[in-house]
Amino acid sequence: MPLDHLFFKRDVPFHLLEVDLVRASDDEMRALSREMGLSLSLEEMQRIRDHFLGMGRRPTDVELESIAQAWSEHCCYKSSKVILREHILGIDNGRVLSRGDAGVMEFDEEYGYALRIESHNHPSAIEPYGGAATGIGGIVRDVLCMGAQPVALIDPLFFGPIDHRGELPPGTKTPKYLVSGVVAGIRDYGNRIGIPTVCGGLYFDESYLGNCLVNVGCVGIVRRKDLRRNAVGGVGDRLILCGGRTGRDGIHGVTFASAELSSKSEEESRGAVQLGDPITKEPLIHACLEVSSLGLINGMKDLGGGGLSCVVGEMALAGGCGAEVHLDRVPLKESGLAPWEVWVSESQERMMLAASEENVGRILDLFAMWDVEATVIGNVVPGNEVVLFWQGEKVFRVDLDFLTKGPEYCRPCRVEVRSSGERALAPTLPPLGQAVLDLLGDPNIASKEWVFRMYDHEVRGGTVVKPASGVINKAGPSDATVIRPLPDRERGLALALGVNPWFCGLDAFRGGMSAVDEACRNIIAVGGRPDSLTDCLNFGNPEKPERLGELREAVAGIGRVASFLELPIPSGNVSLYNETSRGSVLPTPVVLGLGLVEDVRRCVTTDLKRKGNLLYQVGETKEEMGGSALYRRYGGKGGTVPDVSVEVLRRSMEQMHEAMVKGSIASCHDISDGGLAIAVAEMCLGGDIGASIEIGPPVRDLFSESNSRWVVEVEPGRESEFLGSLTVPVRRLGRVGGRALSITMEGGTVRVPLKEMRKAWSGALDRLMG
Amino acid sequence: MMREVKVCVLRIEGTNCEDETYQAFASVGALPEKVHLKQLLGQCPSDLRRELEDYDILALPGGFSAGDYVRAGAIFAARMKSGLRRELVSFVEEGRPVIGICNGFQILVELGLLPALDGTMSEEPQAALYTNDSGRFECRPTLLRQENGGGCVFTSELPEGSIVMCPSAHAEGKLMLPRGRQKRMLERLLENDQVVFRYVDPEGRYAGYPWCPNGSLHNIAGICNPSGNVLGMMPHPERALIWETHPDWTRWERRGEGDGLSIFRSAVRGVR
Repeated sequence: MPLDHLFFKRDVPFHLLEVDLVRASDDEMRALSREMGLSLSLEEMQRIRDHFLGMGRRPTDVELESIAQAWSEHCCYKSSKVILREHILGIDNGRVLSRGDAGVMEFDEEYGYALRIESHNHPSAIEPYGGAATGIGGIVRDVLCMGAQPVALIDPLFFGPIDHRGELPPGTKTPKYLVSGVVAGIRDYGNRIGIPTVCGGLYFDESYLGNCLVNVGCVGIVRRKDLRRNAVGGVGDRLILCGGRTGRDGIHGVTFASAELSSKSEEESRGAVQLGDPITKEPLIHACLEVSSLGLINGMKDLGGGGLSCVVGEMALAGGCGAEVHLDRVPLKESGLAPWEVWVSESQERMMLAASEENVGRILDLFAMWDVEATVIGNVVPGNEVVLFWQGEKVFRVDLDFLTKGPEYCRPCRVEVRSSGERALAPTLPPLGQAVLDLLGDPNIASKEWVFRMYDHEVRGGTVVKPASGVINKAGPSDATVIRPLPDRERGLALALGVNPWFCGLDAFRGGMSAVDEACRNIIAVGGRPDSLTDCLNFGNPEKPERLGELREAVAGIGRVASFLELPIPSGNVSLYNETSRGSVLPTPVVLGLGLVEDVRRCVTTDLKRKGNLLYQVGETKEEMGGSALYRRYGGKGGTVPDVSVEVLRRSMEQMHEAMVKGSIASCHDISDGGLAIAVAEMCLGGDIGASIEIGPPVRDLFSESNSRWVVEVEPGRESEFLGSLTVPVRRLGRVGGRALSITMEGGTVRVPLKEMRKAWSGALDRLMG
Repeated sequence: MMREVKVCVLRIEGTNCEDETYQAFASVGALPEKVHLKQLLGQCPSDLRRELEDYDILALPGGFSAGDYVRAGAIFAARMKSGLRRELVSFVEEGRPVIGICNGFQILVELGLLPALDGTMSEEPQAALYTNDSGRFECRPTLLRQENGGGCVFTSELPEGSIVMCPSAHAEGKLMLPRGRQKRMLERLLENDQVVFRYVDPEGRYAGYPWCPNGSLHNIAGICNPSGNVLGMMPHPERALIWETHPDWTRWERRGEGDGLSIFRSAVRGVR
């Protein structure tokens, strides 16, 4: 559709267009949004038209682009805000210090910890190495701009089946290629900036074939007196842009993330993927923290989605002021960028500082010593407008209320609860011993050593419980990782993920609840006490009622458990439109749980410790096979998705924690994917020793994935002390010892040799990745 | 009163183990300071200017200095060599301790301060730290046997033959010597008592992967110069300052400190 008649070039010696929305028909309006890459709906375009009509002028391309960024799903959560507000935004326990770009919680009287997780899904699907790397870059800046030193990275990743051989959706890359690229991107970026990647997950399912999910989390530590606001201090502040230069990379990243992927995404959107540079980021972190701890700045914020267009407005608004920016002072990677491109570019490694005039000199000196560029590009002014100049010409003047109060939708939802025991179809199973080995070798369960040995998970020297626990070079998986973030105290932070997309696919509400349950029981298992959560909600197209229904149910499930346990969610991210023509990804609400550990010297790990010790199961196993690893492996259908009784969960957590503090527990592992069988097997692997257990109905007892359960190892002498701590269901399973996992049930005993379990579990991913 | 021992923890962009290296020296009573190379070169505001000769110990921490995009440690070494050569040589010749860990070891080799078979600092690197045999970055616990006979200032507290745990985390840690001269050079390293740490398994045997994470010549993890005051090692003792950072610490009775600490204490006591 020809649209040229709607554009007017202003008579200036650079690219600046005015767009006539008044003359545009509805179809032309839609076409404008599409052609300019704005991802705005007709109604939104009309709202912009009316706003500028009221001001008696046409919007410039800089203004239109800017509004599109601010109003994108990615930036203003227009489809999800209503749901988030209802279920999770209000949860508070009095220990939230900030809800800024990252949430900040009390760590102790002197320090706070910052946390956030977000997605970098679409960029990673197009360009896995760069997409994942810049994902890390972005989340690190979110933590940094609170004034916090980043201390841990967390990376849950979701791909199509790793051994996928058949056809791929058009424009899609093979899962194996994506896994290698994403892991290498995280490795090269995370290792170079010196922040340990301590926790993660690797999940495989058909639904991620066309749209992989790359979520990245970061935790930081900040002296409470150095906690920064993401705001200007007041009128007269200078705006200092520092870090990397601005270029054409990463233009339209947020609008790209706010639409479905298509076969054309590759060619159309490659420019939306930014380029990362960890060796600009590393000194940028030092320099920002230095000027922050010296008290030289009033506020700080990272440039992420929407680039300058978002950061300037949001910082000014949060400080109750307006701003003037000389866009032509922004240092560029290449000449010839139009004003709108500079304004919305998402080039990486950039931070914005607000500082009083008298501190500017010292700040610039310190940045110069680190060879990091820092440039004063504007001032904070009274009022509530942002005004941009380019070579003296005013190219942009927008009211902050209009710009930042984006639309909010209460779109139609449809909820399909598919979790029903009645429609369950039990799979045909091989002999039990074989089932245990098959599940241990399933890519969703098998050892992730191939990945985490490539991540530096020890840098900073505070990783106390590592991704793997047990005998050196024979370690099994850990539940949570624990870091000791400060060298002068024994207090620690436990980090754990909770997510089960298969539960969510059958019953999003229970899936959401299960995610929180899992994160909490992982934290409990290492001796921590859950303290807060951050979430990354990955869903399909919210304009489809059933997709939005999944989001609403999952968020309600998360909110139900989090509010009952008083776990605030001071930060998070929603990623929608994870969908291709072949359908949506499984609803994937990722929960990252943070726990406080009073004294890291009392942490407990998953590896079995000593022959003769007793094994117990805490929690009740129910006939809840829906979404289980067993059903998925052998073609079971439907089934009941594990429920959560919040009262039982809370009581179990309290009592388990008490037993932990008393030191009654020698090892502990939560029961999740693969059920009891896999939990005990993994404990055997880490301890390099066998175990004998007795069970009831084998399929249920071994493979059900009921929530709020743990396997616990107790020394015989501490049995009564341990049992004395518990009123929740607890059952003696058996003993530690031997060189096999022996399972006794009615009708006989099955023996799975340790050696075979190790072979199945350890080598699976290596073999698949080659 | 004990003498104050000043430690220069030197960094540039991409150095990323300076905090824990700082902590290592602070834990044993020294007075460390994180110093940017530009502070020694005078490329900084005047109040931040520092002189290498004012320090007792020089530490080159791990990381990816300047991104390691050329050859690991090459850029850091080149910048030091061009602006600080004389000061460095006299620092070493006065017998002051210098430690390079991981990327720091790579820098010492690039500088020619290790293995230094023919004088304090060779013009060209005499050795190299190559890509691991696995072809991958390897972050894993490693066990090291101390094999220095007593000349190395960093192991005075660590009896010969003792085994310590220090985690490794690198992609380029395989020590290699020039082809053709390898055998003779290795003999000289051994004659000079320059081999300080070798990778072993829990029984103390010189085992292969994963105990030796990189395929290093003779299982070598760390070497010193002939005088014993310059030590380079790939594994990270500064990540094993406390017992709880050992990979299997929950399996044993608690010990008072991590295995890495004595390396720093040895050097600081040596200076005092």
